[in-house]
Amino acid sequence: MTRQEIEQEIKEIFRREFEIENPGFDDDLREKYEFDSIDAIELLLEIERMLGSELTQEEKKQAMDIRTINQICDYIERIIQARKTAA
Amino acid sequence: MERRVVITAASAITPIGHGKKQIVESLLSGKSGIMPLREDAMVSSFIHSRVYGTVNYPIEYDFKRAHRKTMGPVAYYACQAAKEALEQSGLTHDFITSGKLGVSFGSIHGSPTVQRDIYRIFFNAKDKAEYQSIGAVEYLKSMVHTTAVNITKMFGITGRVVSSGTACTTGSQAIGFGYEAIKYGLQEAMLCGAADEYDTTTVAVFDNLLACSTAFNNEPHRTPRPFDKLRDGLVVGEGAGALMLEEYEFAKKRGANIIAEVIGFACNNNGGDLILPNLAGITQTLKLGVENAKISPQEVDLVSAHATATKMGDIIEAQAIGAVFGEHPFVIGLKSYIGHTMAACGAIETIMTIYMMEDGFIAPTINLEEIDERCTMVKHVQKVLAQPVKTAAIQNFAFGGVNTILLIRKPD
Repeated sequence: MTRQEIEQEIKEIFRREFEIENPGFDDDLREKYEFDSIDAIELLLEIERMLGSELTQEEKKQAMDIRTINQICDYIERIIQARKTAA
Repeated sequence: MERRVVITAASAITPIGHGKKQIVESLLSGKSGIMPLREDAMVSSFIHSRVYGTVNYPIEYDFKRAHRKTMGPVAYYACQAAKEALEQSGLTHDFITSGKLGVSFGSIHGSPTVQRDIYRIFFNAKDKAEYQSIGAVEYLKSMVHTTAVNITKMFGITGRVVSSGTACTTGSQAIGFGYEAIKYGLQEAMLCGAADEYDTTTVAVFDNLLACSTAFNNEPHRTPRPFDKLRDGLVVGEGAGALMLEEYEFAKKRGANIIAEVIGFACNNNGGDLILPNLAGITQTLKLGVENAKISPQEVDLVSAHATATKMGDIIEAQAIGAVFGEHPFVIGLKSYIGHTMAACGAIETIMTIYMMEDGFIAPTINLEEIDERCTMVKHVQKVLAQPVKTAAIQNFAFGGVNTILLIRKPD
């Protein structure tokens, strides 16, 4: 997946699952949209569906400090890269 | 330190209407909220009782997703009633979030609809992906204190949280424990109440115990029939009630509209059987309530009886009322209109009693056509009375042998 495809997919997840339309890439999701730890868990499930593979507990824990769309996209890129390397 | 506690707002969602205007109209016209039981593709077809106290009208909710995501149907009812009570109270946002306001709110067991969905997945899932469809929020929607904490979240309330879960005394305990929190100086105000959602499994439970009405399945409006010779059991219902309780001086100082005063509360247990009504236990509850209110039994003008319309329950309750209050107070069974709204009944019946106090009338027990001769020791009401009520008692009893009484008074 390209960065642009990841961004598009994440924005679609935010619209569909969290009723957040077009969040800014560097908006603080918690501050601006009340995106909380419950939403983060739901987002991780969506990311697993998007990647077609499960996240490890360690990978999930790494996501808990994420605050912005850009950081989510960075996180997904790292996961994809790690999967490629492992393969 | 003992402080006076007043009620400054109340709102209810019931099978006979939403809010004071609709509810009072229904009480005055004798409207029943009992309807045919809905099919649920699960247990409904096995249940003998085919009636339910139904909230059969749309409610326009305006809750953000950030709040909706942790709410099952019971929390929708609770938050809507709480929202209306908060708005009606006129309390400021600064006060609401100050820690001086607490919440005392419950339901019989959270959201059974959500619990069913969890179990459906749990027992039918064939692979991990299906198990994972149980979302992160399902527990928050279904847990026993879901009503109370969804209210705190929605309105930013930071005071104490009490969430009684004592079946049919949940609502009366919520008010009683809120009253005590203010009376003894622990909070300045408490948002109190209870809710329960439409749930056929609750009907199945009472049906199995032979406690549900079955003889009027084709004429739902003719049941339940508290104190009537033909009564044949309770009718489960749904709804919510919310009340704002405040310390008297605080309410007076801010110019709040005081609609009633809570003057007493008592709660005890039968200390034995968890199901059967107990004359000694209930009689003791009523005596304790009168003592707590520091009044004489003769001062009570109106008793809103628990009156579920079960064979034995109504007789025991009539005997207890007769023994403690004598023939002076009018006695009514409000479940005849709405059914047994489970956790919510104490809150809803208190609110209905306040409405009658405010408007100077007593609504009759509907379907009370021929009084059971074993229930004649009290003064029943069979038609609308234009009657001022100064002091009223609201009685509720629950599985588990829990008994409560609330005593309220009209403000001068």
